[in-house]
Amino acid sequence: MESTSPFYSVVPEVKYSPPWHDLSIIGIAGSSGSGKTSVAMEIVKSLNLPWVVILVMDSFYKTLTPEEHTKAHANNYDFDCPDSIDFDLLVSTLEDLKQGKKAHIPVYSFANHQRQPQTTTLYSPRVLILEGILALHDPRILKLLDVKIFVEADMDVCLGRRVLRDVRERGRDVEGIIKQWFTFVKPSYTKFVEPQRHISDIIIPRGIENITAIDMVVKHIQRKLQDKSESHTEALRKLGLLAAKVELPQNVHVMPATPQFVGMNTVLQDPATEHVDFVFYFDRLASILIEKALDMTSYVQTTVETPQGNKYLGLHPKGSVSAVAILRGGSCLETALKRSIPDCVTGRVLIQTDASSSEPELHYLKLPPQLEEHSMVMLLDPQMASGGAALMAVRVLIDHGVSEDKIVFVTCAAGETGIKRLIAVFPKINIIVGRIEPDGEPRWMEKRYFGC
Amino acid sequence: MASKEAVPSPAQGVGPTYRTDEEKPTATVSKKVSYENVHVLPQTPQLIALLTMIRDKRTVRADFIFYSNRIIRLLVEEGLNHLPVVEQSVTTPVGRDYLGVKFEGKICGVSIMRAGEAMEQGLRDCCRSVRIGKILIQRDEETCMPKLFYDKLPADIADRWVLLLDPMFATGGSATLAVDVLMQRGVPEHRILFLNLIASPSGVAEFAERFPKLRVVTAFIDQGLDDKKYIIPGLGDFGDRYYTL
Repeated sequence: MESTSPFYSVVPEVKYSPPWHDLSIIGIAGSSGSGKTSVAMEIVKSLNLPWVVILVMDSFYKTLTPEEHTKAHANNYDFDCPDSIDFDLLVSTLEDLKQGKKAHIPVYSFANHQRQPQTTTLYSPRVLILEGILALHDPRILKLLDVKIFVEADMDVCLGRRVLRDVRERGRDVEGIIKQWFTFVKPSYTKFVEPQRHISDIIIPRGIENITAIDMVVKHIQRKLQDKSESHTEALRKLGLLAAKVELPQNVHVMPATPQFVGMNTVLQDPATEHVDFVFYFDRLASILIEKALDMTSYVQTTVETPQGNKYLGLHPKGSVSAVAILRGGSCLETALKRSIPDCVTGRVLIQTDASSSEPELHYLKLPPQLEEHSMVMLLDPQMASGGAALMAVRVLIDHGVSEDKIVFVTCAAGETGIKRLIAVFPKINIIVGRIEPDGEPRWMEKRYFGC
Repeated sequence: MASKEAVPSPAQGVGPTYRTDEEKPTATVSKKVSYENVHVLPQTPQLIALLTMIRDKRTVRADFIFYSNRIIRLLVEEGLNHLPVVEQSVTTPVGRDYLGVKFEGKICGVSIMRAGEAMEQGLRDCCRSVRIGKILIQRDEETCMPKLFYDKLPADIADRWVLLLDPMFATGGSATLAVDVLMQRGVPEHRILFLNLIASPSGVAEFAERFPKLRVVTAFIDQGLDDKKYIIPGLGDFGDRYYTL
């Protein structure tokens, strides 16, 4: 008889999943010239959302050997069979994206049939449309797809479109196109493309002209996104409840309420304050926050010599410090930032909270290169209410390789629940808070600062 | 081991309290003094790093100016905290009541020329339209004592709080004379704040006993003075490094 192995209780881990975690992937397959691209474009247009991305499978063609390269130029290379595509790379890319990670999409050059050294970075799409003749070929990909679409068109139409496109856009001659069609494209269609029809969820005949079918697909995606948005908002709410019980830990630094600091806060919160005064006192207050934040970076000891030749054992900051402003509000803090570090490397991320659902949305992202090597990255936001935007911004930095303990969140005012929620998910970040304000305070500081 | 304890090293770990000693780099921090009217800025790693920059003889003038200004702003912010405030409540733009404070009392800056003038920018960064008076004190070649050469002060200075500015506080000779001038103009001792970057322990001690109601705000109290009455380790001649070198 075997003894019972020890049983460990599991402490539930507090996690935050951004909405691009578990993104929706739509696969669109179909013969060459069937109108896959047009259908994909139409879906993007109808969804009318930020962060809908079309990923074309052409990017995942394998690099050709010199012999294959010669063949390709003589229209003797089969680009239509599954072997020409690097499915392993495609699968791992899609898996990364599905987990909310950053992915590097290869860039393929049709001129010399080679993968280029540079890649395109893809991060945080909410919907991804994978488009390619063999989009539904690999069973590993099928598992990742939310919707499987097969676009169908009469083969004559397909050939006609292909001839027109290749002559016009790729400068090829008709003879070569016809040769390739009958040697590779057509046999491949029967062997690999057509079978995908049977495993697809939706078959769209006549491609782009089929408004009813496209509308159905769009409605389906919208419904799925709505569900995700609701569960994201709900998860944020639950995090707040969970976090409400904990005390503010030591890495949350609330500025001491000195007479000057409280005085400045009074001036800032008084609606009678003139705009110029508001900007002046805001910059002054923000400078104090930035100076405080700089205490969080690493320092190394150093001995310097004074002009009289005396030695002093002092400190030098280690590595570089950068900042990322959460737009639009975060840019209010940049004047103060530049006072302390005039040449501070600064990234930007635009996160807007949807007024109706109070769900934060990532709209724009531009981060400095080698951010992960910096010794400290400050996240700037003048006000934090529920912490939704802050959670998302920290997640973005971590996904770009910045380690949690190097992130310092700097804000003039924050609600206690928001801070607790942020610190519950990311316990190692430092938070500099000017003033604790009641929970659920609407954002107003940036409006006053910018005057609109 | 015992001898080590007998002479405590001036070096100590600096850094946020939540970090363990191993994570804190070691640096020489300000000497401690026990006068109630002497306020030394918190010895944060950030402040020590700024002081390290301006002490370093290799630091070029542009950087010297930039880093001194950053320390001066911290000094001014600390100094202003000693000014009186009165309660004031406001209704915020989102309609919430906030019980805050209002700055009370008029202020002015008085710089001891020429080095003290280097601190005016930092003062203006925190108090936009502040009035600034000047005092020129030079060493009298015959008596070797500091002598008042010139002063230009606001007419109503007796009604104001005075922030007296001089970056290096060595023997305190000039500062003592400047305070005498201010008091002759009717400024009460308790309304004078003397802001400086680096002070000598003996200078601070003499001054604090002589003017018990006057507040001294400094970033650092150094080891001592050399034969020429220069602060050690110090940072050289502040005026020269800021204006000419």
